[in-house]
Amino acid sequence: MFVLSIIKDTVAVHPSQFNVPPEQAITNELNKKYANRILHEVGLCVCVFDLAEVGEGKVRYGDGFLWYKVIFRMTVFRPFASEVILAKVKSSDEDGIRLSVGFFDDMYIPLIYLPEPSAFDPNERAHFWLPGSEAKSSHELLDSATADRMYVDAGEVVRVRVESDEFYDDEPGPPKATEGVQQVQLEARRPPYSITCSIAEQGLGPVSWWKDAGVEAMEEG
Amino acid sequence: MQPLANGGGEKLLDLRVLNGGQHDNPPQVLNQRSALLSNYEVLSLLRELESDYLARTKNALRVKKEEELAGNHTSKIQAPTEDVCENLRTIEVEAIQYLSADYQPAVSQTEAGIAQLTKSLAAFNLTKAEKLQIVNLAPTEPVELYVIVEELEDRFGEQMSGMLNVVRSSLTNLPSAVPQANVQTGGIADQDVQMVYTEDNTQDYLDEDGTWEYDANEIVFDDTGDGAGVEGDLDVEDD
Repeated sequence: MFVLSIIKDTVAVHPSQFNVPPEQAITNELNKKYANRILHEVGLCVCVFDLAEVGEGKVRYGDGFLWYKVIFRMTVFRPFASEVILAKVKSSDEDGIRLSVGFFDDMYIPLIYLPEPSAFDPNERAHFWLPGSEAKSSHELLDSATADRMYVDAGEVVRVRVESDEFYDDEPGPPKATEGVQQVQLEARRPPYSITCSIAEQGLGPVSWWKDAGVEAMEEG
Repeated sequence: MQPLANGGGEKLLDLRVLNGGQHDNPPQVLNQRSALLSNYEVLSLLRELESDYLARTKNALRVKKEEELAGNHTSKIQAPTEDVCENLRTIEVEAIQYLSADYQPAVSQTEAGIAQLTKSLAAFNLTKAEKLQIVNLAPTEPVELYVIVEELEDRFGEQMSGMLNVVRSSLTNLPSAVPQANVQTGGIADQDVQMVYTEDNTQDYLDEDGTWEYDANEIVFDDTGDGAGVEGDLDVEDD
């Protein structure tokens, strides 16, 4: 789930921080810059792991900061493809299920990655699985007995497999001024980093489904 | 930033280089994934960061109070790192909450347990990713192992129960009278990422006010005792 990434960057330490040991001041500046932020094509930065190389602090013309060239390692959250992780169901809607791991919640299970056959119950606002059912359409599934349905409720802990992830870099383009007045565009914001997960296999889905399932369940599948 | 132009309007190259220093050296990712970290390692790291932070803020508050009492209103010693990044604190707290949840095995794990687990898993023909997932998820049921390991029956038909036993014992084992020497975690890395923790940190931290609520089933480490066996009650459901 977590990886180490090696990054090279330049850091400026303000004179007020000169009483602090430089490694600490540099680490703080790096954390201020990177912690809890998505780094494109890298992942969600958690915290600085350690400093590998730090250049000599140089003073630049025009300001009193000490500038350091640093190579450091960062703890990054980025599950790899096909990794199995535990997450909590945040919400469900007609398009799928949304998951969260507390510090990150742009994780989705689209309809294609739900176990077959499944349907969305609009009354419960939750998806459910009907194992062993021959039903083909949601209509038939919604006719089934509620007791047979395996619901995926909000707040449940689920075991999911990471299928893929996606980075989206939305650099704002040059502002478009129409007749001298700037138009503020409110478009649907895509998350900078999103993960697609699946619960379509045996053993995936709410952990309660598979508790004490044993080997028999596997053989049935 | 406009470079200062001299009278002749010539480009002042050296100034531009200095002022535009940031642009000439944009941040670079040298290695996107130089090593994999287990959840347990990240949890320990974050806990350490948090306890340092809490110790520092307590200290800073204490120093401030002392100065006020002494009638010294101009605090010359500014609390270092007072604006420890809110973002860092946010993700620290949330990640610790997630990793130490009762449905996660990380709370029941110890460095020695994981080192032992990785060593025992080396005997099986598992890929690095599979070993890491076994450490992170600590499967105790065959079906859990089934999702992690591809073609489980074909590759390990007979050895399945052996694997599960190895996992179980890594969770319930408590190191008895662990020496104060640094203990290396069984991290799985491309390069040799050796993370070294002293046992002291964990114990100190647990003695302080936990910032998250303790579950009734939470296992409290007693590293100083004789290592009372801990029942890692993993099968308790959250109702």
